Amino acid sequence: MNSLSELQMDALTEIFNIGAGRAASSLSEIVGEEVKLSVPRVQLYQSSEINADVLSLNSPRLGAVKQSFSGPFDADAMLLFTEDRALEIVHDMMGSQVGIEDVAEYEQEAMCELGNIILNACLSSMADVLDLTLDSSLPVYSVGATDALLRQIVSEANQPVMLVLHIDLAIEKRHSQGYLVFLLSSSSLQKLLVHVDRFISGI
Amino acid sequence: MNSISVKSEFILSGNIGEKIWDSIKSGLILVDSEGKVLLWNDWIAQHSGIPAESALNHLLGSLFPDGLTASFKTALKSVLQHKLPIILSNALHRSPLPLYPLPATQRKQDRMQQSIIITPIVTSEKKRLCLIQVTDASISLKRERVLKSHSERLSKKATTDGLTGAYNRRFFDERFTAEFGRAQRQSAPLSLIMLDVDFFKNYNDRYGHPAGDKVLISVVKALSSQLNRPTDVVVRYGGEEFIVILPDSKSEGSQIIAEKLRVAVSNLNIPHSESKVADHVTVSVGVATYQPDTDCNAACFLEAADTALYSAKHDGRNCVRHLVTPECGRYCPDTPQANSPD
Repeated sequence: MNSLSELQMDALTEIFNIGAGRAASSLSEIVGEEVKLSVPRVQLYQSSEINADVLSLNSPRLGAVKQSFSGPFDADAMLLFTEDRALEIVHDMMGSQVGIEDVAEYEQEAMCELGNIILNACLSSMADVLDLTLDSSLPVYSVGATDALLRQIVSEANQPVMLVLHIDLAIEKRHSQGYLVFLLSSSSLQKLLVHVDRFISGI
Repeated sequence: MNSISVKSEFILSGNIGEKIWDSIKSGLILVDSEGKVLLWNDWIAQHSGIPAESALNHLLGSLFPDGLTASFKTALKSVLQHKLPIILSNALHRSPLPLYPLPATQRKQDRMQQSIIITPIVTSEKKRLCLIQVTDASISLKRERVLKSHSERLSKKATTDGLTGAYNRRFFDERFTAEFGRAQRQSAPLSLIMLDVDFFKNYNDRYGHPAGDKVLISVVKALSSQLNRPTDVVVRYGGEEFIVILPDSKSEGSQIIAEKLRVAVSNLNIPHSESKVADHVTVSVGVATYQPDTDCNAACFLEAADTALYSAKHDGRNCVRHLVTPECGRYCPDTPQANSPD
């Protein structure tokens, strides 16, 4: 049965919020402004349940930064933002030196870095808190039609379980909602939960 | 001692490895957990002006007079600590390392635009190292810029009229739909001015088509010269018919502009012996203003401008006639009768 107890959910939310805090401080350093990042909610889905409505991604185009990681359990970690949000974020991060119409030029690279910072922060906090070692690939950014990209993400990964983190990113008073998605096999989820339970019983 | 054992590992794999990394057209730096340089390839040596002999076994930060940038140091530390790869994009960091485009003999160059990837490497003795890969981002930036200017030129071509340089019908269809939608959403007024050169067919017959073309070019120049806001655009709608879109313009303002446009064309004083209204080229002008919160749709609004132009022609040409949208129900078959003012 793939479900999370309330305690496991709380533990994961806490772990990812530690990661979010780390990511926010790295981002602030780059942007030179206060950046706030939080993970208000963690939910578990079957991949087959996922579509644009479930994630309330109401935009025709989506940007996704993906890193595959391996260790005691394997997963594809992905940061999802609607493309217009992604462009706004890139614009905010680059500051006034670049006009909003020129941002698309830098979208690919800058989103790769943003995704890299947030994904690494979440992975490293997970590794630290659960006391394990994770390896990761470099980030890859893809943009496409929302439905097509979501379908591709789900089918490519061939992993039935999706751990979905709601992300709230605030740069210069602008709030952007996005998602951090972990695609895992059932066995990887069980292994993750073993580590989570061990962490819970240790506190 | 650390560095020697690590280097010997490379040497053991044959100096093929060394030849490869020195041939690579991007920068490779390998540092140990203290930041001591273990590998410094030819590319880095060339673009930093620091030869490998001076770099090897020294702390990376000590090689540059200004030290390393804060974000670069943080990234390096983080890779060693968490063993996760890191990207420093050109978009957000520009030139983290003091590297120069030409072999760094003369220092009067701007720093090279860089994209940097830092990956963790764990040796068989469990030593944590960092591989820093630097690529010259200026090539891809230049390519992006060339592509962008190409696409700008093409999209300009696709939206303008080749003869007069005014926007074309395709542009009008898109812009008009967008502006009308905006006016509806924001309850803002919107005006359209439709103009037609009087007795243009007669002009062509009398003076020839090349002369007719020159008239059209002059008319567009005259119209454009009267518009001050960048959002007010002149469109060549058909042969000798033009449309001006005036966002956020109420009826009084748009009528004043319409009259200015009529006068500007008349003041060109282009002789027209075959005109029945004047001895020079003139235009008939129809103005329609969309009143917010009326039931008029885009097609009906456009029809209203056309109707106003028809009235101007009917009333003797070389004049301006005006309609506001609640009245347009009379002329527009698409509008339900209930919305008609009658």
